[in-house]
Amino acid sequence: MKIRCVINGKPVDLEAASDRRVIDLLRENLGLCGTKEACGSGECGACTILVDGVSRLSCLMVAAQIEGKEIVTIEGFSSDHLHPIQEAFITKGAIQCGFCTPGMVLATADLLKRNPAPNRNEIRKALSGNICRCTGYQKIVDAVESVKGNQEYDHE
Amino acid sequence: MKNGALPVAIGSDLTRADGYAKVTGRERYAADEYPPGFVYAGVVRSPHPHARILSVDTADARACPGVIAVLTSKDITGTNRVGVPDMDQPVLGDTRVRFIGDPVVLVLAETKEDLTPALAGVRVAYEPLPAVFDPESALREGASVLHENRSEGNLLFSGVIAKGDTKSGFSACTVVREGVFTLQRQEHAYLETEAGAARVDENGVLEMTVSTQSPFRDAREIAMALGLPDEKVRVIAPYLGGGFGGKDGITVQGLLGLGALHSGGRPVKIWNTREESFISSTKRHPGKVSMKLGCLQDGTLHALECRVVFDTGAYAGMGAPIAVYAMGHASGVYRIPHTRVEGLNVYTNNPISGAFRGFGIPQVIAALEQVVDMLAESIGMDPLEFRLKNAVREGDETGLGVRMTYSTGIIACIEQVRNHPLWTGRDAWIQEAPVYKRRGVGIATGVLGIGYGPVIPDIARAKLELLADGRFRIYAGVADMGQGNNPTTIHIAGDILCQGPDRFELVQPDTFRCLNSSSSSASRTTYTYGNALILAAGILKERILDVVIQQHPEFNRENLTLVSGSILHTPDGKVVALSTIAETLQGPDRIATATWTAPVNQQPLPVTPEVKTWGFPHLAYTFTTHLARVEIDELTGAVSIDAYLSCTDAGRILNPPVYEQQIQGGIIQGMGYALWEDFQVREGAVMTKNLSTYILPTSMDVPDIQSVPVETYEKSGPFGMKGVGEIGIIATIPCISNAVTMAIGQRIFETPLIPERVLLALRRAS
Amino acid sequence: MSDVYLPASLDEVHAIRKRAPDAVILGGGTDLLVRMRATGKKPSVLIGLELIAELSRITLQDGFIRIGPMVTHQALLDSPVIRQHLPLVHKAAQVLGSPPIRHMGTIGGNICTASPAGDILPALYVLDAGLEISSPAGKRIVPIQEFITGPGKTILSNTEILSGVRVKVPDPRYQGYYLKVGQRKSLAISIISMAALLMVSPDKKILSARFAWGSVGPIVMRFPDIESSLAGRTFGPDLLLEVGRRTSERIQPIRDIRASASYRKMVAEGLPLKILEECSEKLPSTKKNHE
Repeated sequence: MKIRCVINGKPVDLEAASDRRVIDLLRENLGLCGTKEACGSGECGACTILVDGVSRLSCLMVAAQIEGKEIVTIEGFSSDHLHPIQEAFITKGAIQCGFCTPGMVLATADLLKRNPAPNRNEIRKALSGNICRCTGYQKIVDAVESVKGNQEYDHE
Repeated sequence: MKNGALPVAIGSDLTRADGYAKVTGRERYAADEYPPGFVYAGVVRSPHPHARILSVDTADARACPGVIAVLTSKDITGTNRVGVPDMDQPVLGDTRVRFIGDPVVLVLAETKEDLTPALAGVRVAYEPLPAVFDPESALREGASVLHENRSEGNLLFSGVIAKGDTKSGFSACTVVREGVFTLQRQEHAYLETEAGAARVDENGVLEMTVSTQSPFRDAREIAMALGLPDEKVRVIAPYLGGGFGGKDGITVQGLLGLGALHSGGRPVKIWNTREESFISSTKRHPGKVSMKLGCLQDGTLHALECRVVFDTGAYAGMGAPIAVYAMGHASGVYRIPHTRVEGLNVYTNNPISGAFRGFGIPQVIAALEQVVDMLAESIGMDPLEFRLKNAVREGDETGLGVRMTYSTGIIACIEQVRNHPLWTGRDAWIQEAPVYKRRGVGIATGVLGIGYGPVIPDIARAKLELLADGRFRIYAGVADMGQGNNPTTIHIAGDILCQGPDRFELVQPDTFRCLNSSSSSASRTTYTYGNALILAAGILKERILDVVIQQHPEFNRENLTLVSGSILHTPDGKVVALSTIAETLQGPDRIATATWTAPVNQQPLPVTPEVKTWGFPHLAYTFTTHLARVEIDELTGAVSIDAYLSCTDAGRILNPPVYEQQIQGGIIQGMGYALWEDFQVREGAVMTKNLSTYILPTSMDVPDIQSVPVETYEKSGPFGMKGVGEIGIIATIPCISNAVTMAIGQRIFETPLIPERVLLALRRAS
Repeated sequence: MSDVYLPASLDEVHAIRKRAPDAVILGGGTDLLVRMRATGKKPSVLIGLELIAELSRITLQDGFIRIGPMVTHQALLDSPVIRQHLPLVHKAAQVLGSPPIRHMGTIGGNICTASPAGDILPALYVLDAGLEISSPAGKRIVPIQEFITGPGKTILSNTEILSGVRVKVPDPRYQGYYLKVGQRKSLAISIISMAALLMVSPDKKILSARFAWGSVGPIVMRFPDIESSLAGRTFGPDLLLEVGRRTSERIQPIRDIRASASYRKMVAEGLPLKILEECSEKLPSTKKNHE
């Protein structure tokens, strides 16, 4: 089927099987490999993308579902300068192997849209769908905590 | 905010140079390789835990649409064997299969969809053989033997380390306590599963980009297994999406190489699904540790007896070294005059056990540090004072006779816990337990010898280049699985050459461009490569200054300092650009290389050559003391960690956030090992098939870690550091278990401490 | 391969199903797509309901709340109507899955997946939810207790669709509690769960009590005889322990990869006591005054 949507601010027109997983569409059809797969079954959050501003798991979405939607992947999350969330991840040491990082950043974006000044427990709850095997989460929480109140916020 | 132009000294915080690419999704991992024209590879695996392969019929599979090739062991011209140090694992099964998931046939197809019917179309005829699923059964007389050529049957390794005379030792003890501890399988569960892409180029070179901790060793293993000359195999190791030991060796490399040799020149890609990774990849050795410990009236430890029995699964891999590392740490941080430690590693028809952060040591410390608590209680001593009394200082001999001649910070670690409010305030906190909750506070010490031990060469080779534009290129020799050892090279070289981080670029390990610096393992990555890099940077620095003096004979060498991008002649402020120097130096002269070999413990100890070879004794050790505050839910048995403290000696801290990253990450992975992670196998079949049933801690399950660094100066380490990658996971099980025991009044001798076990223990105790 | 359709109206849904009777309904995908991956079975047709606006509404009218089947768990959490009038449903949605799963998963999906561990279900059972079933022939309402017949089984035929969840707004004197026991605090399938709706008089007498239990049998369980025996009794730890013990004796949970049958029974005994952890009038924090 023909899919027409907007990905990272750009209109996209492609032909794909209606049941093609969105993660495969992003990575293989469009070369957007920033979105990672680590389980394929919704248990790890590595495949998190923003769909009309809301964080969703691209491994559990099919192509037909993104028709007409606005998708933001990690590649489109910042333009010529880093988003404050990304800056915070770097400066607070929240990145080790980095495989969970794109998902964590987008989950954070979703959180801060709903709750611009979360406390550490709220941060941990909001990120509880994203597994990290390297950091133990602490520096990720530090990073998110440091972003609140530092919002030039839009992700168009 | 990118790394700036100002040099950052060792010891100061420096943001990691790999952050930018990772946080923008630009970093390309092995799983992100989709080379033009690539084909997918899939594997037909054994459904039987043990069977003879009678025949393989690939005709139907080859006829499936989109299939490029269907390959069996008959297509392998080399040894068809991989494995370090024991090379007993086939790339594709030839005569038999030995675990459920053992690869038999490799299929190459145009798309993932094409693979499915093709894999189903392969027909393998098996003759099932009797299987063994635990070490005791595997060692019984008449048990089915996995590797028919082995005279020792299913016994992969056995060894003893002993000192003094335990028989008389124990009879002199006032109190003796013992326990048998059962440790479960743990799965690495790195987020990036095993992945890579390979092709054979126009020159017949097999080039492979793969998620691996050991590119140089891999290249040799691949060459031997597939029958290629060494120089025709090139392995590139990008940043790994996690490793933890599970990628320390061949995972998909043999299959990728075989595929690339038969794909008509097209690149081949493998990326294991999580389910396939669970079945095919290695796990932490499960097993039983029997620990018996005795002390004198005044609490002085006097005798120790320990027996470690590990299940190594279907193939040897690193089973022998892991058993030796476990044995070699069985006396922990203590002085003990009489000890006897026996270790066995046994083949079974279970999934393969292999390297995993800690390498056998967490299992044995889990037992030791719990029996220490039991003994302290019996002798009526505070568990912390008991440990303080018996812990080694520099110059002491451990229970296994190893003289601590290098930095030994354990006393300071224990003292830091002793002074900490989490310890001093423990009674009050415990008293405040809410209704239906029980509280406990536990401690444990840990120790880990870094590096490969006294026999296996522990060498790194640094290569550093001055580029034409005056910046520097570091050719990393050791793969970086997330610990940041490669960004750390920028910190080290930056310190020596006085260059800001933006003056460097990194080449990730590539067996054709970088120099063999062995594996990313054993907490030795920065310890060895860092030392080699210090040498290489020093050589290059002198060469640069030589050229400056040649060009400016009026300068005094003592008055020259390097600054970012240039050399400064301080008396008159004259500056010479590094790019100018680069112009003068011809190609090879712009490159400095240096080799550094880790010193080894020369102490002659009465062990067999095998025990010595596989890694005993070590020389430089890292030390830790942990404290856990736990709260148990009396109604469900759930264990909640309210607070956790680490006081760890990893030598000098080069970059505080990076040190903390390893401490925090290691501890949380250790909490998973203690409380949630149970990789269940029944009759050789994996029961926990994916991340829905293999339970990893989420951000809601774990607390912040309080970390008090205990800095010592390790004379053999670069700038005084020791590796900090593993020490975090060494003591978590006993620390948490000791806390749980205090809370519920019963000790549980099995891990993980899942709520059901805790609830049952609670009921037994009341 | 599956053909995926996202029709804009219920009529279109019925039309597709007429020509493809084996078509499977796709809600949020968080159960169906996971199951398809695990079994390798791909239905030939999937019908996604997310574009049918009427299925995503929450309305309050004449003392009844109507929740469209495609209302996501996040939408339940965000809804002031649910928060105010059905706080028990709000509590259940809080502990389901994880944040992104809550953004995608739907109440209709949770019901029609009909897992005994479905997190919204015990809340709907104590609320005596009615389920609206639509077909080309018309609509009917069926109590939830009759809708789910076994693990993964509902009474829906392949011409019928769940088109709404109807809940009578409970008497405001009811206090709701939702307790979930999982292997971890997020991303957890419940090992045992319990929803309770309690109406307690100012002098601590039970006026009405309802308990629904998840993951202890093939479907969510209520024990009306236990519930009715509590009327007039004094609310407190003794009573709650009695509820737990009597329930534990009645249930026949299974053993699975997550927990043994005996663990589920053991936990059932004490689980009602956890209500006291949430109660405004807590017992003093000295231990050992419960057994």
